[in-house]
Amino acid sequence: MTERTTRSWTEADRLSALAAYDILDTPREPAFDGIARLLAQIFDAPIALVNLIDSDRAWFKAEVGTGMTGGTIETSFCAVNIREGEGDVMVVADATQDPRFANNAFVSGEPGLRFYAGRLLRTPEGLPLGALCVHDLKPRSATLTPIEASALEVLAGQVMDQMELRRSLRARALELSSRHAVEAELAATIGALAESEQKFRAITESMPQMVWSTLPDGFHDYYNARWYEFTGMPEGSTDGEGWAGMFHDEDQERARALWGHCLATGEPYEIEYRLRHASGAYRWVLGRARPIRDASGRIIRWFGTCTDIDELKRLQDGKDLLSQELSHRIKNIFAVVSALIALSAREFPQAQPFARAVRDRVAALARAHEFVRPHTEASRPSVGSMTLHAFLDALFRPYADDTGQPRIILQGEDAVFDDQAATSVALLFHELATNAAKYGALSVPAGRVHLTTNGVDDRFILTWDEQGGPPIDAEPTRTGFGSSLATVSVEGQLGGRLERTWRANGLLVVADLPATALSRRRAALKTF
Amino acid sequence: MTARILIIEDEALVAMELRFVLEDLGHEVIGMASDARAARKAVDSGGVDLALVDIHLSDGPTGIEIGRQLAQDQGVTVLYMTANPGMLGAGVAGTIGVLSKPTDERAVQTAVDYALRRRNGQPTEFAPPELRLFG
Repeated sequence: MTERTTRSWTEADRLSALAAYDILDTPREPAFDGIARLLAQIFDAPIALVNLIDSDRAWFKAEVGTGMTGGTIETSFCAVNIREGEGDVMVVADATQDPRFANNAFVSGEPGLRFYAGRLLRTPEGLPLGALCVHDLKPRSATLTPIEASALEVLAGQVMDQMELRRSLRARALELSSRHAVEAELAATIGALAESEQKFRAITESMPQMVWSTLPDGFHDYYNARWYEFTGMPEGSTDGEGWAGMFHDEDQERARALWGHCLATGEPYEIEYRLRHASGAYRWVLGRARPIRDASGRIIRWFGTCTDIDELKRLQDGKDLLSQELSHRIKNIFAVVSALIALSAREFPQAQPFARAVRDRVAALARAHEFVRPHTEASRPSVGSMTLHAFLDALFRPYADDTGQPRIILQGEDAVFDDQAATSVALLFHELATNAAKYGALSVPAGRVHLTTNGVDDRFILTWDEQGGPPIDAEPTRTGFGSSLATVSVEGQLGGRLERTWRANGLLVVADLPATALSRRRAALKTF
Repeated sequence: MTARILIIEDEALVAMELRFVLEDLGHEVIGMASDARAARKAVDSGGVDLALVDIHLSDGPTGIEIGRQLAQDQGVTVLYMTANPGMLGAGVAGTIGVLSKPTDERAVQTAVDYALRRRNGQPTEFAPPELRLFG
C-alpha cells in the first residue's frame, strides 16, 4: 500500500485521468453494485458508495442506502479524503465532533451522517479518482476491525480492477474506431485516386499518341489503348521488360542505353526508334518520357509517349536523298566537264597547256563544292570537318613535297565557309598556289608558303607569305588572267581587299575580308 | 610497266578520257563497264590486273561492293575513282585507295603507277598526294 506523504499530482492530472476512464454518468453495473453491497454488509452499515470525484461534484458509480446518483463537492467526505487525507484510508468516528464535517448539510441535517470510513481509489499511476466508502448514522470507533480494514482494502482494489478493465476496453474501442477512421480515409483517398486515374485513362485513351507509364525503376505497368492498337499485342503482354522486344533489333541497344541513363539520372528521355507495327512492319516513332516527382523530389513514376513519325521521317529521308543526289550530280558534272575539256584538247596539241589550266580550275571548284554541299552521314568527307583549313588542306595536297609533307603551311584561326564563298575561296587559293608553283616559292624544292588566317575584330585576314623562292627583282609588268581571277574573287565576290607586295624574298598577299564574307547566310541568320 | 586495266565508270565521257590517258601511258584498257553486271562479265573473261572503279554506276551505288569482290575474291588490284570519296568511309579492305574526281593525267598516272607497284610487290617510295590510301 502506498502512503501519500507529498502530493505528486495536480487536480488537472487527476481530472484528466478520471476522464480517461470515461465512466462518469454511465449506467449502473452489477459488478460495482455488488462491491458496494458487500462492503455495506461487512461493515453492517446503512450506506456504501463507489464515489468518484469530478471537478465540481461527487458521482456514485454504485451506492447502497442513499437512492442518489451523486452530490455536491461541499457535502462529500470523499472529496475531503482526496484533498486532505493523510493516507489511503480515512476514518471519521463522529462527524459532529470533526470541524471539517460538523457543518456538512448531511451531518447537521438529514440523514444525519456520523461515521465515515473511506479508501481512496487510485490509478496505477497513483492518481486518486475517488473513494470506496461506508457511512453510518451512528458514531463508531475510529479504529477499524481487521476484517473491516481488509475488506475496504480488497474491495477498493476490486473497484480499480473493474475501472482498469473499462479503461483498456475503451482504449481498444478507441483504437478500433480510429483504425476505422484511418481505413475510411484510405478508402476515400483510393476513391479519389481511382477517380483521377479514371480521368487520366479517359484522357490518355483518347490521345492519338501511345502513352505508357513505368515505376521509378522503369518497370512498364501501363499502356493506353493506342499502344495495343498500334502494336497489335495482347493487353498486358508488354508489361515489365516486354516492351524492349518491340523495337527493331538495330535500335534496341541504343534505346536501352539511353533509357538506363535517364532512369539513373532523371534526365528526360527522347529518342527515335523503329517500333513493330501490328502489320509486322517497323515504323519510326519518337519516344519521349518525363519523370514525375513527389514533394521531396523523388521520382515516383515515368510517363512516356510514342508518336508515329514514320511518314515525316520518310519525307525527310526523301528530301535528304534528293538533295544528296542533286549534289552528287553536280559533282559529277565537274568530272564530265573536265573530261570534255581534256578530250577536246586532244585534237589540238597546242591547246594542251590551256586545257590543263582550265581543268585545274574546275578541279579546285569541284573540291570546294565537296566541302559546302549538303551531306548525309555516309557522304561526309572523312578528312576533318567541313572547315576552311580542312578544305585548304585538301586543295594544297598536290603541292606536298616528296615525303608527303605540306609545303604550304597553314596557321591561325579556322573558319567555316558556305557555298556562296566556296567558288571565290577555291579560285583565289588555286591561283595563288598555281602561280607559286610556276614562278614563286613552290617552283624550287626548298621554297615554302606560310598561310595565316585570323579574325581581327570584324575582319578576317588571310596572309599568303612566300619564302625561299627565286629572288624577285620587280613587280611583274603583265597581269595574268589567274591574278585577275584572284582579284575578282576577293574584291568582287567576297567584298574584301586583295593586296600584293612583291618583296625581294617572295610574294606577300593579304586578303582582307569582312568577317561575315565566308558564310553570309549564317551571318544573315544571326542578325535575326 | 604496262597493265591490263578495266574501267568501271558510268559517265561515258569520263571513261573515254580516262581510257585515252591510260593508253597514252602504254596500258591496255580491256574494257569499260557502266554497271555491276558488265563489270563482273569483263573480269570473268580474265586477265584484269587493275580496275578503276567509280561508286555510282548506272545501276546505283554498286561500285563499292564490286570493288570489294574484285579485290578480295578475284585478285584484281582495285583503285576507286569517285566524286564522292566520303561514301567509302574508312575504306574497303583489300583495295588500294581512292582518287577524288575530277582529277588530272598526272594524278592518274602516279596513282596507277603506285597501285601496280604494290601489285607487283615493288618498293613504293610515296603515295601520290591526291590518293587516299586505305589502311
